[in-house]
Amino acid sequence: MNESLLERYRPKEQTVLSVPETQMMLARFSSDGQLLLTAGFDGQVHRWRLGEGEPAALKAVAGHGGWVTGLVCHPKQSVAYSADSWGKLQAWDSSAEEPKPAWTVQQAHDGWIQCLAISPDGSLLATCGNDGCVRIWNAADGKPVRELPRRPHAVYSVAFHPAGERIVWGDLFGQVVETNLADGKEVRTFDAGMFYSLSRLQDVGGVRCLTFDRNGKTLAASGTVPSGGGTVQGEPTVLLFDWDSGKQLHKLTLGAKNECFVHEMMLHDEGFVIAVTSGTPGNGRLSFTKPGDEKPFFVGPNSMQNCHSVALHPGGKRLAVVSTSRGSNGNGRPLKDGKYLGNHSPITLMELGAA
Amino acid sequence: MKSSSLCKPWEHRLSRRQVLGGLAGAAAAGLGLGSLTQPLLAEQLKKQHKQVIFVWLDGGLSQLESWDPKPGTQFGGPFRAIQTSVPGLHISELMPQMAKRMHHLTLVRSLCTKDNSHSAGVARIQRGDPKNRGVTYPYFGSAVAKLLGPGDSGLPPYIWVKPGSGGFVDKDAGFLGAKYGALALGDGKPPENLLRHPELSQRDDEERNELRRMINQRYAARRRPQSNEANSYVYDVASVLMERMDLFDEGQVPDKEWDRYGRTEFGRHMLIGRRFAEAGVTFVKINSYGWDTHGDNFNGHLSLVPKVDQALAAMVDDLIDRGMWDNTLLIMMSEFGRTPRINGHIGRDHWPEAWSVVMGGTGLKQGVVAGQTNKEGTWVEGDEHDIGHVFHTWFRALGIDPHRVEYDNAGQPLPIAHDDCHEIQEVLA
Repeated sequence: MNESLLERYRPKEQTVLSVPETQMMLARFSSDGQLLLTAGFDGQVHRWRLGEGEPAALKAVAGHGGWVTGLVCHPKQSVAYSADSWGKLQAWDSSAEEPKPAWTVQQAHDGWIQCLAISPDGSLLATCGNDGCVRIWNAADGKPVRELPRRPHAVYSVAFHPAGERIVWGDLFGQVVETNLADGKEVRTFDAGMFYSLSRLQDVGGVRCLTFDRNGKTLAASGTVPSGGGTVQGEPTVLLFDWDSGKQLHKLTLGAKNECFVHEMMLHDEGFVIAVTSGTPGNGRLSFTKPGDEKPFFVGPNSMQNCHSVALHPGGKRLAVVSTSRGSNGNGRPLKDGKYLGNHSPITLMELGAA
Repeated sequence: MKSSSLCKPWEHRLSRRQVLGGLAGAAAAGLGLGSLTQPLLAEQLKKQHKQVIFVWLDGGLSQLESWDPKPGTQFGGPFRAIQTSVPGLHISELMPQMAKRMHHLTLVRSLCTKDNSHSAGVARIQRGDPKNRGVTYPYFGSAVAKLLGPGDSGLPPYIWVKPGSGGFVDKDAGFLGAKYGALALGDGKPPENLLRHPELSQRDDEERNELRRMINQRYAARRRPQSNEANSYVYDVASVLMERMDLFDEGQVPDKEWDRYGRTEFGRHMLIGRRFAEAGVTFVKINSYGWDTHGDNFNGHLSLVPKVDQALAAMVDDLIDRGMWDNTLLIMMSEFGRTPRINGHIGRDHWPEAWSVVMGGTGLKQGVVAGQTNKEGTWVEGDEHDIGHVFHTWFRALGIDPHRVEYDNAGQPLPIAHDDCHEIQEVLA
């Protein structure tokens, strides 16, 4: 247990937000820290204005089809970008009373956009999807800048290196590829093949999240080490690579097989990994882990289970975690007062280092 | 949730000895007691030589990610729906090949079955859930083997191409007697040790068989005729399989055929299944495991469904091209559907309340959809159809009147499908 880090960063719940019968997959803070944006299965981006009191819900942003599967905020402007599972990519003023799209690309991909990333200076966007494509866009107007050679399988994750000249993207088969933005050429690959297995007929796994530390010296890739398909079980895992040498530095196992995927994670400036996992319903937590330690120095409470997204406030003192309502699974007819209910996603705002 | 595996220890590898031993044992247990109350009708049916190809996805195919998509609704998931070759009919974007062929197929979107567990679901669905009369009913494959007979090929009437190990699965036959069980070809391979051992000369083999025949005669003289019939059948099966080793020779199949079905385990098994159907096997079951996507359902279906789409489309094409469509009933289904509600593992659980089955070929209308679910896909709107209705429909499509034809279980008349159910008339030609 890393007591000193725990003392400084122990999270304390501030409030829990949710939208009835709506499941979320993503949470992001605006760059000025004034807004919290969340998105998921209802094809909308939900907004909350943050202040001293309870966050105030603002009008949701509609216009997407299927699920909203990508969401990023411009690092300097009040512009947000969202992508969906039907292939649409759009930009909009995140703080407007009634946001209108600044631009829209109706078919940025053929179907499900799995990930959306923004460059450190906010000038470029990168998208990847089930169509095997990785595409670069001008963030100002949505015009295509570059398309990488198409893969025959899904690309799940993409991230910009902090220096802004390279991207990395990760695919179904656990391959992480570094690409030079200037010419689109592949530079090298990082092996995350442990994130894939073929289970009977099913391809299982994939690189679910990629991120860098602030200085670009460490690359992190996450997913699961699958032990089977169908229900899908596997150890939730983060791989840390030294960016200069390409060598794997650490393999962090963040839970048991029933906790399964590390859906999102980030590398804190203090050198620990903030991650969320989700597996068999009832499992999957928020955790803080110092690489090299045997165990996380913080694991979130049972009340926050099946976690899918985590965002760090620009001030560094707050976290938002998207989890899933309890008792989310069940065969047959789960009725309440004769009505068939869906699940929802508690969004927990937490203060770091609170006494 | 534990997933059910049909690969039980007693199935294990099939050897020639096991085929013979298994069936001979069945003979001693009273093979063939299950007969038909109308033998003349049975003979007429056998002359028509109808066939069935039954594609079984063990677990549950999500109806929302296949035949009954509800895009843009609360439980609709991430995928789009696409237009099919039938005007106004949309299916999931994960099935682009089948979408082009839906004018040949029949879709029932109003299945409402009862069991949401694997332990009950597999047997209940494949036995057609008849009324409980204190007997174990046959699986559909065994029923068809009994009702339609083996045809002229001499091949076993019920072949099951499955992943993993093979074996003779007599439990499928229920009260019909083990002769109507499934000959399971593990990974589509021939039974191990089927062929005469190279060190055994043909002359020695013949002498051995002669000795067997003599012992059989002595055995049969003291037992009921069915027992002797069973033994004869056993050796007929083995000898025909030995003569049809070409069916197992994958080298005879051009590369483009494997490509059309897809270079996957399922694609390969579907093509092997087609070859057995083409050779005259009455009932061919092709099985895929792993359809129990309680977690990561959408990425799972993204991987699974297109592989099935490709192979099923190739099967439709081949049955039509080979002139088999009018005599063959093609079916694809699973144990149940999957919940509209999406759980925290981004999975869907078991949902027998509102799901779909696709079928095509003999006795069915083409390009037809029967039944519907509500806007969110949670319940059936209008008439619900249980598996008993589906069995009635299948039997009728095969030219068997499920209201007249009965099994004769040692003098006990038994209906072939649930007495209280009926055919889904909208889909019958």
